[in-house]
Amino acid sequence: MDFVQRLNDHEVVTELVILVLVVGTALAFDFTNGFHDTGNAMATSIATGALKPKVAVALSGVLNLVGAFLSIEVAKTVSKVVKIQYTKDVKDASGQVVHHSGQPLPFFDAPGGHHLLITIVFAGLVGGILWNLVTWLLGLPSSSSHALFGGLIGAAIAGLGWSSGVDWTLVLSSIVIPALLSPLVALVIAAVGTYLVYSITARLDPRRRDRGFRWGQIGSASLVSLAHGTGDAQKTMGVIFLALVAHGSLTSSDGIPFWVKLSCAVAIALGTYLGGWRVIRTLGKGLVEISPPQGMAAEAASAAVIMTSSHLGLALSTTHVATGSILGTGVGRRGAQVRWNIAGRMAAGWLFTLPIAAVVGAICWWLADLLKGPADGLFGILLVFAILVATATAIWLRSRRAPVHAGNVNEEWDGAPRAAADASPRTPASV
Amino acid sequence: MSAVWSSVAPIWKVLLVGLVLGAGLPALVALGMRSLAVGSDGPRGRTSPAGIAGAAVCFLVVAVAVIAGLVVLTASKTFLARWGLS
Repeated sequence: MDFVQRLNDHEVVTELVILVLVVGTALAFDFTNGFHDTGNAMATSIATGALKPKVAVALSGVLNLVGAFLSIEVAKTVSKVVKIQYTKDVKDASGQVVHHSGQPLPFFDAPGGHHLLITIVFAGLVGGILWNLVTWLLGLPSSSSHALFGGLIGAAIAGLGWSSGVDWTLVLSSIVIPALLSPLVALVIAAVGTYLVYSITARLDPRRRDRGFRWGQIGSASLVSLAHGTGDAQKTMGVIFLALVAHGSLTSSDGIPFWVKLSCAVAIALGTYLGGWRVIRTLGKGLVEISPPQGMAAEAASAAVIMTSSHLGLALSTTHVATGSILGTGVGRRGAQVRWNIAGRMAAGWLFTLPIAAVVGAICWWLADLLKGPADGLFGILLVFAILVATATAIWLRSRRAPVHAGNVNEEWDGAPRAAADASPRTPASV
Repeated sequence: MSAVWSSVAPIWKVLLVGLVLGAGLPALVALGMRSLAVGSDGPRGRTSPAGIAGAAVCFLVVAVAVIAGLVVLTASKTFLARWGLS
């Protein structure tokens, strides 16, 4: 009897350790989501000098924090494209709810189902974080939601199968097509806005004009930050809620606990405040030389598109929209230079985001699954966690060789900030 | 394929609303600033009262539109239904 009791205690502790690791990893993803996307809202304000870099990231961080609490109904479903949970309430003939939205699908109740679900979520998160870190190192604005969905899709294929793990029609309609259309829509709106603004203010004193538009820019960039916090912090809230349901500490009909909302809001706000300076630099200086009127037109277009689409239930990536808007301001202003080669590089990065995050998610699931036997699967989770920590550290160390920070984020764009050029002096081509 | 098409059809609404709010509101700000400049290059170098009034109207419309947009986004669905907005 005593032996059985001790065996059970052991199991409880293991499950708790796994839960803590998964929740911690989810918050880490939220944190990378924050610094990866600071630029979407603040790059143009930093580039035009409307806000000092440090002030901009602080303002954006605070607004992300507020935004995370703004929405009244928090979605309990992580992503509808991976078939791991009910995405809406299922009622029987008498109208009684038999499956609540957010409840894990039946595979969960089979032997090993709890661990399978938690491993899929964990591997998916790791895939998302690693892709976010790699693209940050490259200064490439890419969608954090695509990274997360990609990781989850890969882990779900590995864990549940090609068609029983993923709803491919939904992948096409809710991820692929919106990703193709949203930058175009934002581009058109920002181009029209820029054209109108320049036509109307053509005869104004440029200094007076720029001063006024800097204020408009700060306002519209704030709206983008707010919308970002509302949209993106929710995804992590959904992930942690699912982990708690899988662990058994919550049921799917429970509300999302306050500590989950608070920790997600704080994680995304801190990430935003850290400032993903590499991405900010690419967006603010790399694509188009931005003036305050263009900055305002870009942020207003982004805010309008993001808010309208989230109201209509279309999940558009903030990153794709913001990039489209910034390109649009270059198109809409006569004589502005648009660096289409950099835009092309970004578009290529977007194409790879989902598949590569999926491959990494699948590999992580497979590694964790190799060691699912001993200690209730703890070793498998620990192995993947160790890989995550090691890779993240390596990427961070690599980034120190050519740091981008508040001090050099606005330097002239010659392909790389000055610090980078110093670190790797261009040597004449040898024979 | 029809399911795919119907799920992306709302993108037209995003484009239309986006053009009105995302391009229209910056244009209104621009109008307001042009209005503020009326008379400022005249002999007294100050904005005429009509210019100030025009600018105030422009900026007010922008502020109201932004606040209304935020309310529509954040307010609960039942609250909106009461005003016929849902």
